[in-house]
Amino acid sequence: MSVEQYQQQLLESYNGSQDPKIQQSAFTANQYTEMFKTGQVTKDEYLQMMNDIVLANNINRSADNMQVLEHMNTAINGLINIASLVA
Amino acid sequence: MKKVLPALFLLTLSSCSVINAYLMTHYDPNEYKTITEIRAEAQQFKNQCDDAIISQANSIKLARDTQYFVLYSEHIPKNEDMISASKDLQSIAQGLADQYAKAKVSPAFCKIKFTTVETSADRMQTVISGRPR
Repeated sequence: MSVEQYQQQLLESYNGSQDPKIQQSAFTANQYTEMFKTGQVTKDEYLQMMNDIVLANNINRSADNMQVLEHMNTAINGLINIASLVA
Repeated sequence: MKKVLPALFLLTLSSCSVINAYLMTHYDPNEYKTITEIRAEAQQFKNQCDDAIISQANSIKLARDTQYFVLYSEHIPKNEDMISASKDLQSIAQGLADQYAKAKVSPAFCKIKFTTVETSADRMQTVISGRPR
């Protein structure tokens, strides 16, 4: 596949997804590819930037997991407090 | 009875994730301070990318500080997600320092790298601030 075909695929991901995080990643990847094509960044830099999209997504996923636990923790402690008051 | 009920409630918790949530890592002001410093540095450093000499020194500083954060988080119990995120953050920061060490770095790349660290540190800071106190 050519660069343009991959960019088209990114555009389809951007348009086809309802998840803002996927949309953001597709948009960023497309933006970086344009920067590489216009010579604003070198090949080494471009490869690193694309890899950073994956790393940033991993960080977001870890953060999402932690936030779920935080919400559950709040709920559990709330229930424990209520149970203590009722008794 | 007041003490027994909560204990009974806890005993009935069968789901692993619920137990993990109950026993999760609490708020640590030092962890919060460190990630705030990383975010503040990245925010400041991205505006100095036109000066290659200063930016190289900045990239080394940020790589060291993110490495400190990895080491700080590493042995905090029940902190796996934050350890993983801190390692990813360090990889992003280290990449810029490594790039400066081997080649001339374009200002656009420098700005994007610092911005990526800033955005990710912001996300991690939000999570740390929301931990149970």
